[in-house]
Amino acid sequence: MGSLVLEALSKRYGSSTAVERVDLEVAQGEMVALLGPSGCGKTTTLRMVAGFIPPSGGRVLIGGQDVTRAPPYARDTGMVFQSYALFPHMSVAQNVAFGLEMRKVGRAERDERVMEALRLVRLDHLADRLPRQLSGGQQQRVALARALVVNPAVFLLDEPLSNLDAKLRGEVRMEIRALQQRLGLTTLIVTHDQEEALTMADRLVVMERGRVRQVGTAEELYEHPADPFVAGFVGRCNLVSGRLEGGGFRAESGALLRCDSTGAPADAALLALRPERIRLDPDPAGEARITAVTYLGAQTEYHVEQRGTTLLVTRPTPPLGDPMRRLAVGDAVVLSWDAAAVRLLPAA
Amino acid sequence: MAALVLPAGLLVVMLLVAPMLLLARISLNRFSPTELMVEATTAENYWRAVQDPYYQQVLGTTLGVALGCTVLALALGFPAAYWLARMESRWKSLATILVLFPLLVGNVVRSAGWMALLGNEGAINAALMGMGITSRPLPLLYNTGSVVVGIVAVVLPYMILTLAAVIEGIPRQAEEAAANLGGRPMTVFRRVVLPLALPGVVAGSVLVFILCMNAYATPVLLGGPQFKMMAPAVYDQFVRGNNWPFGAALAFILLAVTLVLTVVGSTLLGRRYRAA
Repeated sequence: MGSLVLEALSKRYGSSTAVERVDLEVAQGEMVALLGPSGCGKTTTLRMVAGFIPPSGGRVLIGGQDVTRAPPYARDTGMVFQSYALFPHMSVAQNVAFGLEMRKVGRAERDERVMEALRLVRLDHLADRLPRQLSGGQQQRVALARALVVNPAVFLLDEPLSNLDAKLRGEVRMEIRALQQRLGLTTLIVTHDQEEALTMADRLVVMERGRVRQVGTAEELYEHPADPFVAGFVGRCNLVSGRLEGGGFRAESGALLRCDSTGAPADAALLALRPERIRLDPDPAGEARITAVTYLGAQTEYHVEQRGTTLLVTRPTPPLGDPMRRLAVGDAVVLSWDAAAVRLLPAA
Repeated sequence: MAALVLPAGLLVVMLLVAPMLLLARISLNRFSPTELMVEATTAENYWRAVQDPYYQQVLGTTLGVALGCTVLALALGFPAAYWLARMESRWKSLATILVLFPLLVGNVVRSAGWMALLGNEGAINAALMGMGITSRPLPLLYNTGSVVVGIVAVVLPYMILTLAAVIEGIPRQAEEAAANLGGRPMTVFRRVVLPLALPGVVAGSVLVFILCMNAYATPVLLGGPQFKMMAPAVYDQFVRGNNWPFGAALAFILLAVTLVLTVVGSTLLGRRYRAA
């Protein structure tokens, strides 16, 4: 039994469905990410766990206890809000102490735990500042400390990094993950950023239009996407529609693409192929043509057209002087890939 | 930019500062029943106003009614303002208009309405007697209660709109964070909403207090001849008594008391805010 369990959790607004029968178990100490585009229901799900939105159906269990109807203040969750939601009229220390005050923790113990939590996020030297006197990154760490100091049974993070600049985001990501693992926190994080989800979470839940599309580790989702949505949302992917024919895959445009069809669903209608799994070799006799080249520093992206089908290919940027470096739009190339790299999926 | 402020500045000087200076000068003149106003420089009007038990009582009544109405308007206005500020739907603008709606009706007209409701032959007494609950009309009109009810009804929209503007600026997520950390609704209100709304509480209370101190039509119409507040007293001196110097002195006493209490009150509240 997980530390946090969602059973057929649903939320309907009138005739529209925000969340449709979400089932999920988060084990003690596990970090699970709800990942999906905006409007997919991930934030609504998180807010139902926190108790801010009453579910239309299903149950929420925290530590085995049914809290579906419990008000937010009676749930043992610690939430970090997207906007941090610090109390602007309280100092950093007062912000962090709030949850302990609500739990009637004595003055001496409270001060001690506040400082301990602030040390954890390396802000003990700013305890007397007001939130508005802190940088965005520092405010974020106060929000973390405020949620952690009460030792919540479930730690909830709502897009915690979206208000930080790119460089800081990477650091805070590592920091949150390290804290979460060190303290063994059962954590549910909501994000629309797949990189964030892939790097931080033990398992990911990909959601779309209120439904769970697939649950798995980063590797499972990336290597074995269950459907075209997951394939396209987690990482980048070439999706070609067509049908199985003989040992290969006949694209709608007519091209026959190499694939391994063993174990493929009979109704396979899409071929999924990661752009970095495609090899690309210059060959004047090749029937594929480069239609676009995008230099991205470490990587270079090529759009390659082969008999009416355009595939995206990413390759590590070759060193200066390498003949590959001179590949340009219009050049003839040959594409190849391992048949095992191909996933065959049912129609979207 | 400075040039753009000039017209408004001139207007203020012409319409506010100049008459006030004139009034200040008049308050120092002497009154004679035969010649009415005699040029002089004397504080006797102020002395008379301060020492006369009748005017002490009028000032006391005015202060009591103004403070009571302010507190009542705050207590009644806060929930409404909170509800209005947190409204998300398309009804919000309609609700705002409904709050503003009473301001479209003048104070005199509105007081006349209260008279029709509260008077001895008014709707309430007629209903009570018709149902046989009382045999003679209840004295609902011409007392402190009817004046307070009338004034609160006038000032409530100002209070609600001032509060709502500030409450709208309080992030809802701060309230959610407090609830998430274990704060029950009353605690969240006391520890988060109220301290953050305090600038609005100060602004709304100051505005309403000033309006109440200077209320004229409502106390005259709903208070009856025995009930006296400062603004009607000033009017009586100017128009009925033709005693401009004394009326002007009363006006300045009213102004000074209002000003001092407003500054003291908002400073005290402001200090609490910084301490919180």
